[in-house]
Amino acid sequence: MTQTKLEMKNVTKAFNQDMILKDLTFHLEKGEIMSIVGPSGSGKTTLLRILAGLEKPTEGEIIMNGKNITKQKANRRSISLVFQQPLLFPHMTVGENITYGAKVSKKYKEEKIKALLEAIGMTRFRDHYPSEISGGQQQRTALARAMATEPEVILFDEPFSSLDPSLRQDLRYWVRDFLTARETTAVFVTHDMEEAMIMGDQIAVFEDGNFQQIGTAETLHKLPANRRVASFLGGHLILNDHEFAPLHAVQVGIQKGLGQDISFHATVEHITYQHGRPIAHLYIKDLEKKISLPINEALPKREVQIAIPSHSIKTFSGEIL
Amino acid sequence: MIRKKAMFLSLTLLFFIFPLTIMLLQSISAPWRFHTGQGIDWGWQGFSLLFQNPQLWEATFTSIWIGFAVLFINITIGLFTGKALASYTSYGKPWLEALLLSPILIPSLAIAMGLHLFMIRVGLADTIWGVMLIHLVPTVPYSIKIFHNSYQQMGKAMMEQPHILGAGFWTQVFTVELPLLRPAIRSLTFLTIVISLSQYAITAIIGGGRVLTLPLVFFPFLDNANTSIMAAFSIWFALIPVFMYIIIEALMMFLPYSRLPWRNHR
Amino acid sequence: MKLFKNKIFLLFLPAAIFMILPFYGFFHALTQSTGGEGLAHYEEILSSERFLSSVWFSIRTAGIATIISIILGLVFTKLFHPLLNNTFPRLMVWIPMLFPHFVWGYMVILIFSETGWMAQTLVAAGWLGDTSNFPVWTRDPEGIGIIVTYVWKEVPLVILLLFPVYASIRPEFYALVNSLGGNAWHRLTTVDLPHLLPVLVESFLIIFSFTLAAYEVPALIGTTFPEMISVLGYEWFYGSSWEDRPLAFAAMVMTSLFLLILTLIGYFGLSRRRWRAMRGDRA
Repeated sequence: MTQTKLEMKNVTKAFNQDMILKDLTFHLEKGEIMSIVGPSGSGKTTLLRILAGLEKPTEGEIIMNGKNITKQKANRRSISLVFQQPLLFPHMTVGENITYGAKVSKKYKEEKIKALLEAIGMTRFRDHYPSEISGGQQQRTALARAMATEPEVILFDEPFSSLDPSLRQDLRYWVRDFLTARETTAVFVTHDMEEAMIMGDQIAVFEDGNFQQIGTAETLHKLPANRRVASFLGGHLILNDHEFAPLHAVQVGIQKGLGQDISFHATVEHITYQHGRPIAHLYIKDLEKKISLPINEALPKREVQIAIPSHSIKTFSGEIL
Repeated sequence: MIRKKAMFLSLTLLFFIFPLTIMLLQSISAPWRFHTGQGIDWGWQGFSLLFQNPQLWEATFTSIWIGFAVLFINITIGLFTGKALASYTSYGKPWLEALLLSPILIPSLAIAMGLHLFMIRVGLADTIWGVMLIHLVPTVPYSIKIFHNSYQQMGKAMMEQPHILGAGFWTQVFTVELPLLRPAIRSLTFLTIVISLSQYAITAIIGGGRVLTLPLVFFPFLDNANTSIMAAFSIWFALIPVFMYIIIEALMMFLPYSRLPWRNHR
Repeated sequence: MKLFKNKIFLLFLPAAIFMILPFYGFFHALTQSTGGEGLAHYEEILSSERFLSSVWFSIRTAGIATIISIILGLVFTKLFHPLLNNTFPRLMVWIPMLFPHFVWGYMVILIFSETGWMAQTLVAAGWLGDTSNFPVWTRDPEGIGIIVTYVWKEVPLVILLLFPVYASIRPEFYALVNSLGGNAWHRLTTVDLPHLLPVLVESFLIIFSFTLAAYEVPALIGTTFPEMISVLGYEWFYGSSWEDRPLAFAAMVMTSLFLLILTLIGYFGLSRRRWRAMRGDRA
């Protein structure tokens, strides 16, 4: 049985004349992890700050466990926020940082601190100051500090973007397992689709002040709601405002295809290699679009034909959920 | 780099260390008469004659008491206003900053003269309270500036972090902000106390000569004390902020999460 | 306005209460300077030779002291700011800040007066026939003693104000100017000055206002004629006759107004610059 943990109802946020959020509505079940992806500067951070209570929505309400918490201040909400930067208190040790969260929210138990230190693999560093540990360790400590307050919901604002790529990969899985093991409800904001797919059960594509679509990675890829979603995912060839074709259906050849196919003239701009396969980067002049496709062998010519079987051309679903 | 270092050292020695040394030497020797061919005659007469003056001790305690009161009010106003300025980002902020700086741009003599009648009317003239109040005028603008800078360096996000974790306003001030403001409090201690010790005119006007602070003893001393006593008195002026700084440093150890020197962490 | 909606307003409250003090004082000085007789007192002091020569002497002395302090402080910080990152060199530079102005003034007397250390040493060394041949540098009509004291005391303050700015200028900026073929002058005008200008203007205003109107140092190390405006004002305030008091108020109010106008000009220039910089059309 699922229960609704957090709800946002018709939330609007305006800064001066700019509408950052336009009539936003969504809800989260208990234990659910939702990723929010969108281009930078689209207002994802503002959305998190409103949920956390750091900013007030211009209109609309936030409901947690059935109670309206729109007017509640950030320190009274059982919601924690992990920022892009670890923001550990420089004058406290790792242990004190984690304990601090527990103490100010009156949830201090020594065993819990020990368990958290154990979980983030930092027991050995308990008495180190933040300046003495690495970036990844700092971010893990920040997470443990947020968890120490026993929040019902935890929000992440691109928490790995300041780390180097190899560390980022490890930490992603680690955080994901950490959250699922504790059945914590979480919202995870990122601009990286891959990260969103790893972290979230559901993925919400956020652009232009609203969700363009919310669904699993599979739904999003099979049935993108509109061309914004499709162009953000990058897995489709968008033909016009209503129609698209999944990239795996697109065939590359030198000759013109058969009659029932739709075909375009394309220019090969580059060949790169990824996951051991050559990838062709093509420019389709008629659509003014660039696409990247895995190919089987090197193409002999710069000028190629691409063909799309007409049965694989689909229409945007137009449905947000 | 080495040439630069040598240049720096010779300049600081000549302009900052040398005068201090001259003053120190004069304070522990009889007045110099090198031109008559005499050498240095060492002795503690300068200090002992200074300390025999009963006014000196009274004035020292009054000055310290005023200094502490002024410092604590400064920290309070500076903390709130610095925090407010750091989180206030809007048009007209430069003007707001200019307004808050204006008390040190308007001559404090004009302000003290203007407040004189008012102080008499409310019974603060000739009292230590009135003097404390007037000493706020040349100090508070500096405190606001120093705290504003420190809060800006800390950053808005660092201020939001304890709030998110569930800390209330005062918990946040004592557990996170004050410990991080320590360097600012140190600068402020020196600045505030030295400025307070520098006020002769406004102290004389508001205190009516009845609130005896160190400058009020120093000025009349000039006419009849010898150079040894005056040099000792000058050194005394510098010892007071140092002494008060040590007390403030000790008090700051009681702030949460202090790294106590005698407690080994690892 | 957002300012009044949230708790920022409450945080400004202590400062707002404090600001009553200087402003009430200033406006009260303003009303007392008229003394119910309109601008009569202003007319009186403006036709007084003593007042006018004092105004000129004050502006000249304070101006020279301020400009020299700022130039020396700027050169010192520019040359030595990397060294100032260490605590010990910084503490040495701050030494004069540990003393009140008048105590530092006394030290200037101790060293530079006609019977001071320098005169004595020069005579003892045989370079000077008699201490009376030593130039009059303290309690002199040119204000040399006042200027020396202020410069000595304010240079560390200028360093204190400029040091954080220099520490925050990223060395890449200089490298950029160099790579574009700029010389030392270009580095100064395109990197240093834009960063420093607000602080320089503010330092000038703070030091100039202080040196123009502070009483202690000129009272200690100045002469009776010409005298600084503050000394004259203090004398009128505490003078033998009560009739001079409105004159004291008028003199101090005029000084204040002069400084306020100067501040307004300074800040207006700065905010216009900032405003233009924000819009991106920096000319």
